[in-house]
Amino acid sequence: MKKVYLILFTCMLFISFLGHAEVRINGFASIYGGKTLDEGESLYGYSDEIDWQNGSLFAIQLSSDLSEGLSATAQVLARGNNDFNAEFEWAYLTYSISENSQISTGKLRIPFYRYSDFLDVGYAYRWAKPPQSVYNLNFSTYEGVSYLHTSYISEWDSSLQVLYGAVDTEFSAITDSDRGQLKDTFGFNWTLSNDWFMTRVAYLVTEATIDLSGSADLSALIGGLQAYGLTEQRSNIEVIEDDAYFAAIGIGINHENIIFDAEYTEFEIDNSIFAKQQQYYVSIGYQFDSITLSLTYENNDDENSRDQFNQVPRVIPGPNGIEIPIVVPNSNIYLQDVTNSALASQRASSDTYSLTVKYDFHTSATFKAQLTKLEDDLTGVNTGLLLFGVDLVF
Amino acid sequence: MKNVIFLMALLLISSFAANAGVDVIVHPSNANAIDADQIKKIFIGKAKSFADGSKALPLTQGDGNAVTSEFNEKVLKKSSSQLKAYWSKLVFTGKGTPPKEASSDAEVLSLVASNPNLIGFVKQGSADSSVKVIQSF
Repeated sequence: MKKVYLILFTCMLFISFLGHAEVRINGFASIYGGKTLDEGESLYGYSDEIDWQNGSLFAIQLSSDLSEGLSATAQVLARGNNDFNAEFEWAYLTYSISENSQISTGKLRIPFYRYSDFLDVGYAYRWAKPPQSVYNLNFSTYEGVSYLHTSYISEWDSSLQVLYGAVDTEFSAITDSDRGQLKDTFGFNWTLSNDWFMTRVAYLVTEATIDLSGSADLSALIGGLQAYGLTEQRSNIEVIEDDAYFAAIGIGINHENIIFDAEYTEFEIDNSIFAKQQQYYVSIGYQFDSITLSLTYENNDDENSRDQFNQVPRVIPGPNGIEIPIVVPNSNIYLQDVTNSALASQRASSDTYSLTVKYDFHTSATFKAQLTKLEDDLTGVNTGLLLFGVDLVF
Repeated sequence: MKNVIFLMALLLISSFAANAGVDVIVHPSNANAIDADQIKKIFIGKAKSFADGSKALPLTQGDGNAVTSEFNEKVLKKSSSQLKAYWSKLVFTGKGTPPKEASSDAEVLSLVASNPNLIGFVKQGSADSSVKVIQSF
């Protein structure tokens, strides 16, 4: 697939050289430093040693109107947390069916969140890092088609996006890179806005497969359940073509100098080790001319439902009325207990508070500093993080 | 004291310069009724045609020109930074392209005079008979 993007990219350059179409070049960049406030702590990939790579990125976007309503766009992004290796973040063709509807195909952004479309363009939002309790999925693009329809409903601008496609990537599910696929991903994203208010709702469904072999403990548990012929219980841990959904709602207000944002998301992969995740944030900001101050509260709550526990029997009937205990070989550790603790290990609960200062010191650049404190409600550990940097568009 | 007078004069001039006024112009043959709301929609990419269905192409001026910030603030109700952020959202999602930029009032006048699809703005009083002033702010 990567080759296809490279061909598209080369074609666009070639077309521009031939002078048949104008190629617009835009770009953006972020340079961020960050460190946790206390020794030995880590948060969002930062440690107590100051780091300049994790939140830094450079991107170039080429777009070209080919003719008859057809346009091509490719964005190449180099992320600091990927050693600044340049990769195609997205590459797609768009066809304008009419003034208010268009269809795109290629590698596109999944509209999980309000700021998904320009997640990497820090210049376009007021945080140094969008609220991570909500903006927590580590993948953001899919391959497929997207249909966008814009219209006016009395005084409101309506924007409805319907998408269909698939994802093939490394998730950070159990380890930092677990190979996985989402197929038959189908969803919609509807935004309604006027001059000072916006609201959105998004809903996506998919069939998820995630390779859990990166975790030795889970692999052993899955093997153990299979050895006892507990196929159903095994499939309730594994993620093989399991149904999953993602739902989001959000509102935003920008009235006079007051900025307010709130988003709630939840998602779950049915019949899997993974817990249902629910999270939200509320952020209020005030704009003093070129300086914007923001206060943000985030909450995250992940938990497997009670009916998923104790599904593994402690014994199975053997010959002559003997009951065979279901245990880890050569031990008295019951697989029921191991399974329960694997399900319980997915529990997470936290509160996060952030204070952000954004200073627009140039029409194309903004400086931000953010202080974040995460309180883990399960361990009682508090972690502080300081982030500061510059976002540019060019 | 001289310094104070000089400073006051400078302040007066700069406040005068900041309120020079903006004329929105189109080709003389463009007979469409275009109100302030329609101008705003065209310049932020939400409307792409005039009332008669012909294509509307907005033409802005460079960031550094005083008339640009005055137009942005009075008509679009956005600061330069807010407008830049607005366009970033559209540009980097393939949903829109910001208006083309002219370097001066003179360039806006000559481009608008030669293309019935263009709509531009110049400092109040700069427009000549080659174009039609539809609104002043």
